[in-house]
Amino acid sequence: MKQKAPLLDTLLGLVAVAGLIALYAPLVAVAALSFFQITRVRGVMGFAPFSLEPYAALIANGEILAALATSLIVAMVASLASLVLALMFAFYFVSARRRFGLMMQMMVFLPFLLPPIITGLSLLIAFREIDFARGLATIIVGHIVFIVPVVYRTVLVRLQLLGGSLTEASLDLGASRVQTLVHVILPQMRPALISGALLAFAISFDETLITLFVAGSETTLPIRLWAMMRVGFVPEINALATLILLVTALITLAIGLLQRGQAERAS
Amino acid sequence: MQPLLHLENISKRYGSVRVLDGIDITVADNEFLTILGPSGSGKTTILRIIGGFEGIDGGRLMFEGRDLASVPINRRPFNTVFQDYALFHHMNVAENVGYGLKVRGRPRAEIAAKVADVLETVGLGALGARYPAQLSGGQRQRVALARAIICEPRLILLDEPLSALDVELRAQMQRFLKSLQRRLGIAFVFITHDQEEAIALSDRIIVVHRGRIEQEGAPEQLYRRPRTPFIAAFLGENNLIAGTLAGVQGAVCRVETAAGPLHATVDGPAPLPGSAVLVAVRPEHITLAAAAPGALVAEVVEIRFLGANILIELRHPALPDTLIKVRRLADGSTARLSPGQRLTVGWAADDAALLVAKG
Ligand SMILES: Nc1ncnc2c1ncn2[C@@H]1O[C@H](COP(=O)(O)OP(=O)(O)O)[C@@H](O)[C@H]1O
Ligand SMILES: [Mg+2]
Repeated sequence: MKQKAPLLDTLLGLVAVAGLIALYAPLVAVAALSFFQITRVRGVMGFAPFSLEPYAALIANGEILAALATSLIVAMVASLASLVLALMFAFYFVSARRRFGLMMQMMVFLPFLLPPIITGLSLLIAFREIDFARGLATIIVGHIVFIVPVVYRTVLVRLQLLGGSLTEASLDLGASRVQTLVHVILPQMRPALISGALLAFAISFDETLITLFVAGSETTLPIRLWAMMRVGFVPEINALATLILLVTALITLAIGLLQRGQAERAS
Repeated sequence: MQPLLHLENISKRYGSVRVLDGIDITVADNEFLTILGPSGSGKTTILRIIGGFEGIDGGRLMFEGRDLASVPINRRPFNTVFQDYALFHHMNVAENVGYGLKVRGRPRAEIAAKVADVLETVGLGALGARYPAQLSGGQRQRVALARAIICEPRLILLDEPLSALDVELRAQMQRFLKSLQRRLGIAFVFITHDQEEAIALSDRIIVVHRGRIEQEGAPEQLYRRPRTPFIAAFLGENNLIAGTLAGVQGAVCRVETAAGPLHATVDGPAPLPGSAVLVAVRPEHITLAAAAPGALVAEVVEIRFLGANILIELRHPALPDTLIKVRRLADGSTARLSPGQRLTVGWAADDAALLVAKG
């Protein structure tokens, strides 16, 4: 039973609001500053009127557009490949002997739990050793290593929820393994597959640290942002950060909606 | 005649635990066979072995004289009604029911016609477009049945299909299942832990207990002539009186007990004279009469009024540990009974079964 404790409720509410403000204030500031630039007239700070100038500069900047294209390609390929790999790992986990399954699971998770700097460094050394030129392919590989655990988790939870009985029912009715996968398992897992892919896309799109190590001469959007910051602060940075924020927020929203729909259907 | 299906001396282990031991079962064409046993006795495991979901550690599984060892699940001419129904929630009722035909590559028109036909058979004619989430428990049950019968299997396996339904729906589904089996002429292998359900539905019952077959036979045979104390206690209620087999005349056995000689009937071979045995008599088969010298006279301990019935508990001085239960229709004569009264207890030898006492 829920007890009424007005004082405690208010207090908790205040703490939550304060926490949210601390989390979101910098983000809101960045977004605001991308539309209203700071001006200094003889040492006095002020705001310029609303303008989309930083965005215009961004679009005019060929390097940034190229970085965006790279980021999109990487995120798309990496999330699709991760989806396929994660599915295969999850199928293996539910069907393999317990001991092998757990071993495989630990190996899948390790790169995610390691500090990204270690993962990035080891990848760099590995590519060096096998004499693999750094570029788009190495970025994609680096992202896959980092993303697969996340997608695997999402996919596995759903697969375990399905249990073996639907597979058994399908086989019992005369379907082959492949028919069972196509007609029963994958359709039942669709929400998990979509949210897994979106999650993978969002993580890949934002990933910086590992990418720094394996990018070679290629540049993704976060790396571009990093490089711009080193040279000096320009208004485009706010615009770019706002755009990345927006994409991530939209993906998060989509995942949230998807999961809510799933919960409603399950009840 | 060759049986449709024959489980020959099958054993099964999970790790070091032996869950089935020397199971031998035949299923005839057209038969309603029930596997009855308490929870954990191995019923589901037997069904899963027939369906091909579990391997075996010993014995053979023969279908019309062919060994099924190398035949995978999807090539066995059996279909299963799972305990949790296992319906495909992303497909509507018609798609669920038509699934078996679809994966066999049948033409669409044929599938549609057959689905309509089968849905009619199970009484779901109008619900083809609904999704499983929009159905009641009883309706889902019928979808699972329809899905299992559409491919005209030689055998349908049902794992406690009625246990999730409420009492009223259960009785209705029992009648429906029985009539469906008669109409289709397909053999049903039905699992339940409910002895009344088994008795009401089956042509033949196989009772399993701790992974072994305890006894098998027609419902009436099992009920009238239990052969082990387990069966006597599991199917209905019995009074058990311990003694030693003194002699056999035809099917009627004389048993020496502490209370004097008693009679019981045995079907098939009798145990050797001198064996420890039990006499099993049902409460409703015991007659009560005025105490007479030389008869089995017991004293009324308690009388329980149960509405239409009355349950009288008596004790015999030579059998202090055995409460003799007698069930009567409550009437004027039972109303005059009172505790402390001494009465002669008796039964027809034909109504008493002889059990072999096991350790
Ligand atoms: N996959 C399994 N692994 C280990 N033990 C099992 C497994 N399945 C069933 N058992 C055990 O085998 C015995 C028989 O189980 P089961 O066939 O399901 O019984 P029933 O259907 O009669 O209740 C039980 O003791 C159960 O605990
Ligand atoms: Mg069971």
